[in-house]
Amino acid sequence: MNRRFTKFFAILCLGLLLFSFGFAKTNVPNDTVVIAADTGIFITMDPGMVYEVLPGKIVDALYAKIVELEAHGDTLVPVPRLAEKWEISEDAMTYTFTMRKGLKFANGDPLNANDAVWSIKRSMKLTSSSKWLIESVGITEDNVDQTVKLIDDYTFTMKFDKPYASNIILGILTNQFASVVNRKQVEPHMSGDDLGQKWLDDNSAGAGAYVLQKWERNNQIVLVANPYYVEGQPKIRRIVVRDVPEAANQRLMVEKGDADVAWNVTGTMLKEMAANKELRIVRVPGHGNEYLAMNASWGPLKDPKVRLAVKYSINYDEIIDILLDGNALKVQGFVSKGYFGYVADNPFYQDIPKAKKLLAEAGYPNGFEVELMTSTANPRPAQAEKIQADLAKVGIKANIVIVQASQMYTKYRERGQQMVIAGWGNDYPDADNLAHAHANYKANQLAWRNAWEDEFAANLTIEAQFEKDPVRRELMYKILTDYWFLNGPFAMLYQTVETWPVRNELKGFEQAAIGYGMLFDFTKLYK
Amino acid sequence: MNIWKYLIKRILLIALVLFGVACIVFYIAHVIPADPVGAILGGNAPPEKIDKLRAQLGYDRPLIEQFFSFLKGAVVGDFGISIKTNNPVMKDIGLYFPATIELALVAIVISIVLGVLLGILSAVYRNRLIDNVSRVFSILGVSMPVFWIGLILILIFYYKLDWLPGGGRLDFFVDPPRRITGMYLFDSLFTGNWEAFRDALIHILMPAFVLGYNSTASIARITRSSMLEVLGQEYIRTAKAKGLKKRLVIYRHALRNALIPTITIIGLVFGGLLEGAVLTETVFSWPGLGRYITAGLLSLDYPAVMGGTIYIAFIYSLANLTVDILYALLDPRMRT
Repeated sequence: MNRRFTKFFAILCLGLLLFSFGFAKTNVPNDTVVIAADTGIFITMDPGMVYEVLPGKIVDALYAKIVELEAHGDTLVPVPRLAEKWEISEDAMTYTFTMRKGLKFANGDPLNANDAVWSIKRSMKLTSSSKWLIESVGITEDNVDQTVKLIDDYTFTMKFDKPYASNIILGILTNQFASVVNRKQVEPHMSGDDLGQKWLDDNSAGAGAYVLQKWERNNQIVLVANPYYVEGQPKIRRIVVRDVPEAANQRLMVEKGDADVAWNVTGTMLKEMAANKELRIVRVPGHGNEYLAMNASWGPLKDPKVRLAVKYSINYDEIIDILLDGNALKVQGFVSKGYFGYVADNPFYQDIPKAKKLLAEAGYPNGFEVELMTSTANPRPAQAEKIQADLAKVGIKANIVIVQASQMYTKYRERGQQMVIAGWGNDYPDADNLAHAHANYKANQLAWRNAWEDEFAANLTIEAQFEKDPVRRELMYKILTDYWFLNGPFAMLYQTVETWPVRNELKGFEQAAIGYGMLFDFTKLYK
Repeated sequence: MNIWKYLIKRILLIALVLFGVACIVFYIAHVIPADPVGAILGGNAPPEKIDKLRAQLGYDRPLIEQFFSFLKGAVVGDFGISIKTNNPVMKDIGLYFPATIELALVAIVISIVLGVLLGILSAVYRNRLIDNVSRVFSILGVSMPVFWIGLILILIFYYKLDWLPGGGRLDFFVDPPRRITGMYLFDSLFTGNWEAFRDALIHILMPAFVLGYNSTASIARITRSSMLEVLGQEYIRTAKAKGLKKRLVIYRHALRNALIPTITIIGLVFGGLLEGAVLTETVFSWPGLGRYITAGLLSLDYPAVMGGTIYIAFIYSLANLTVDILYALLDPRMRT
């Protein structure tokens, strides 16, 4: 009996194996795009709550907004989407938006100004992490009923606390919290005072190009085309984001054709993939930067001459060309390329004698010892080693401390760092956004964290945001940047570049990806 | 001492172990100088926002107070709300755990079948070719890191040969079976969904083998040595002398006695499987509890990490208890 059982079991196992083999092949159909990405950081699909980059772009695909960004060449410009037009009052503080007629949500419900106003109020009541953007121009949870007003079914107004330049206001309104949500669809799912947040975490109720069909966490996200989309139904009918945490697996999937694009493949793997004729590497300028920051309240770094010496001891070209294989842009100012206010000067290069001379003038002919903190995220540890070696050439001994990102930010916010290598992600495509972060300590962002309490830079930043004449405004950012080069606590290493290996069948990715970080236009994709 | 007393003693011990795990997990989670609230809000967020959310989540309370409210919840299986998914952690565990247990069960079946088979063969054909092959196989299994084997097998069987899928539980064009247990293999069997069954099966083979490789190796080694010991006993010699067939001697007389240490090791490796799942699930994009905990770790989702870890410790203890009971039933000497 024993023997018979063993035999039966062996045959069963063999049978199962044969039954299952030869069944592995999957092809991506022509109306579907499969994205292989690490979705471990995905938290919510609620437009009032989402903040991270890729989830944010997916939410953008699910919800249309009054104003959206569009890439005109390399430059990102706010354009009306659900709105037909807007008018700005004489005092530049009140904006009147007129909606398009006949708009529909993805489920067919009509969409008008009521929904737009309700959605903004809804976002203001939630603990959204991007809410501070609109709070910074004077609309808060407490005053939203007075500042955002419905005029009729097709018009509403927004009143801001100061006469900001319109590029700033419109840029801020392209963020996810301004997404228009279908109140009628959400209301049955509200519980307590959560405003439907729990339900919207993994359902969509918008008017964007796509609808969220399902989201199985840590598995896959499936979007299907919205037949009522205001710009017409997109060509790709289904987008599947598969959770593939391992970059090596993402690579294999794209090379084999089981995925059209890999989201987290970088570095040497990307270089190796470039040899595959079935795919191409797409590169676009990113919306973030990487910098070395010096705490202006700590020891030798208090002296602007010492900070200048540090800026002259780094070999920027080697970081970009060797360490990053050219996958970065040399931008030394704080305004990203493609933004209003971008300054094309890159004044810094490695000049050891000059750096040594500056250090000697500041009273540190033999250099000093300093702690250089950065996070574990690649390529930061390698950058830290490179900068350590460069600084050693002028006698500065940097001791590298590598910690988890969250740990780094905790210390950084408390001004506990001496030197730090980190990056900044932008929130709207205007110099103003970056000037506040990097030059205005009163904004409590990077300049503050590095204790660079410079009144001139802070006041110029604030002044520039109210300048109505774009020519004058541009000039103000040029002056600010030049001043910042000489005095500021940052050595800007580069502007990031976004890269993807994309299969040749998937077309239009180059256009879809322009502005990634801030914008990803899924409707441009086709096969 | 009767078996009930023995059982009660074991269960009390489990409670003690779980309390210890809870202390350690809580301590480690809070001793890391990282700020979960900062991680939720990202590097750009202003400090006021961070303080507000911290107060909202209760992270500004004294540590001891946080610990007691955590313990109080943990006793009734309430590990709080996951910061990341916004669901009660216990609900998330219910969602992700079936995938992990399914993987572990298939892995243990593969390792028992393969391990015991290899163990017997190498004992019976000691120092012959099969013994040497099995030795090399076992040493590799014990010494190679799980994620490395995983990546190499994916490269061979998915990329080069195209025999097996490279990750996930199901192909995305196959709908999952109606949820009964949450384990796709069983659910598709119960509902007669053959397409899903076949797809789930080919998806689970590689991760289950990788996850079980280490245990296969241990089981093979243990079976071999205990088999050798038994084969040298006098009653085996007697059986042989009686003129019984070799196969009968091996399977009926030797194997049954040789399997007792194997059962112990199976109980132990089962716990190891749950722990190995963290790596295997990441390599094979397997949406289970291990991946849930890893994702939680990366976003400093303390409730998820603490809850998930304690849950795994609980299952581990249960597996051990089961083995102890089996043991006591098989071998009366153990009850004293």
